[in-house]
Amino acid sequence: MKILIDRNIYSDECISKCVYSLSEVFQCNRQLDGNTESIELIPTNGFISDEDTKRLFLQKLNDFKLRQIVAEETKDIRTILYAKAFADYEDFNIEEAE
Amino acid sequence: MKMQYHLLPFDFTRIADTEILVNEVGDMMVVPEGTIQRIIDRQMEKDDLYKSLVANFFISEELVPPLLDVYAARLREKKRFMDYFTALHIFVVTLQCNQNCVYCQASSRKEQSEHCTMSNEVMECSVELMFRSPAPVLTMEFQGGEPSLHPKLIRFGIEKAEEKRLSDGREVRYVLCTNCVNLTDEMLDICKQYHVMISTSLDGPAFLHNANRGKTDSYEKVIAGIEKARKALGNEQVSALMTTSVQGLNHPVEIVDEYAKLGFKSLFLRALNPYGLASDNPDWEDYTRKFIDFYKKAFEHILELNKQGVHFAEEFAIIILRKMLTPFSTGFVDLQSPAGIVNSVLVYNYDGYVYASDESRMLAEKGDYAFRLGSVFDRYEDVVYGNKVRDIAEIWANESLAGCSDCALKAYCGADPVRNYSTQGDMYGHRPSSLLCKKNKAIIEYIISLIVERKEEVVPIFKTWLL
Ligand code: SF4
Repeated sequence: MKILIDRNIYSDECISKCVYSLSEVFQCNRQLDGNTESIELIPTNGFISDEDTKRLFLQKLNDFKLRQIVAEETKDIRTILYAKAFADYEDFNIEEAE
Repeated sequence: MKMQYHLLPFDFTRIADTEILVNEVGDMMVVPEGTIQRIIDRQMEKDDLYKSLVANFFISEELVPPLLDVYAARLREKKRFMDYFTALHIFVVTLQCNQNCVYCQASSRKEQSEHCTMSNEVMECSVELMFRSPAPVLTMEFQGGEPSLHPKLIRFGIEKAEEKRLSDGREVRYVLCTNCVNLTDEMLDICKQYHVMISTSLDGPAFLHNANRGKTDSYEKVIAGIEKARKALGNEQVSALMTTSVQGLNHPVEIVDEYAKLGFKSLFLRALNPYGLASDNPDWEDYTRKFIDFYKKAFEHILELNKQGVHFAEEFAIIILRKMLTPFSTGFVDLQSPAGIVNSVLVYNYDGYVYASDESRMLAEKGDYAFRLGSVFDRYEDVVYGNKVRDIAEIWANESLAGCSDCALKAYCGADPVRNYSTQGDMYGHRPSSLLCKKNKAIIEYIISLIVERKEEVVPIFKTWLL
């Protein structure tokens, strides 16, 4: 079946991750037309109803979008956290890094 | 009105109609459906849930959390195994074996086979290399084939290690992986003298163990060997491991009961792995599905035993629970990121070559040397920091692998480039079709689902396992 996705809402990265995660279940063809991406999903094994396909895909897609928001908003603090945890010097100073 | 707070990095999954949030150190929170969206939309109320999210580093009221240093120290502690570097050193003393296991993962050869036993020279150079590792505690593990067929070589290796240990001041633990079929007094004397732990293989009750060994009397001999070893060394010095053969998949309860009957306090429910002769098992997908089912049945039985007052634990779950519920890292090489290979384990093969892991040398027995890192005669730096290891290092952290990097379970799971290579043809691997991923995910999710759905019943039991 075909699902139309608004690329203003879901980024390429988000859709790619979703498609990857479902790549055992669906063969996928993607086509971009302006800001709308058409995604054709063909079950690789057996029958999956259109309704289930859509539900599965959109639920995953929304989860990847939530992850993307968290990742983007926390990118800097994550870098600081890892630098503090693993840098080989004791006196790493956040105020100076900011 | 929107609340003012800042997100901190976390991932999530959905289990049993709840949302499971996992932060960077593997702390888990179970929250009602819809919470993630509310967190992101700044729609939280200032209630207990909000306070827990702040206290557990999922959100912060300040741009930089005041306790960031504490959080960073906890993250460092979770990856402490990286500071220690290679702690486990496996010495494949020989491929000769006196058994004929149906799933043999070590590609063993007949007892009389020649040219498959380590020389003294290789043993000595391997010990030298082991002591170049900076780990404060070294484990020297003898494997085979059946290493106890060569007690003199093992004594030689331990004596060399003891010489180094006395001048170097580090702790060395010795482990003998043996089928216990022919534990001679000579071998047990060595074990006694140097406090060598015995790790043996027992697949369950007699009918199953014997069927897996292709013998009719193997079970009796192993039990006699375990008894002899316990008498000589003490119960706590003898442990056993099982491997779930295809036939074993049908006997979860019997396997657990056998271990409990023999006085063991725990059991590691271990799946077959696709190396060595074991890769001849035709349908891995079917096996994996059945193993997950087997694991759950055996686990339920273990919980039942605990409810009846028998203290008995499952080792894979202990590793996951330790990652989930304690601040500490675990030393289990199969569930580490960066991967256990090289970082936590090196293998010195009988033929004088060094491999990245036990599974790597099993691949080599099939003629594939992808994970041969060098020779025991090479410089340590060339072996562990050489080009091969640098290439592997590009893809040995699940934080940076497609599929894993977005997986909420990554704090509990691990990266396994060797398994990816042997089952999927490349070290990077493809998570959606990986059977190892499928198995790990199913078991970790099952353990989480128990905590979510049967908290009162299981958490007190789990806590006793972590003592
Ligand atoms: S292997 Fe699978 S379960 Fe483990 S972290 Fe990666 S995606 Fe998650």
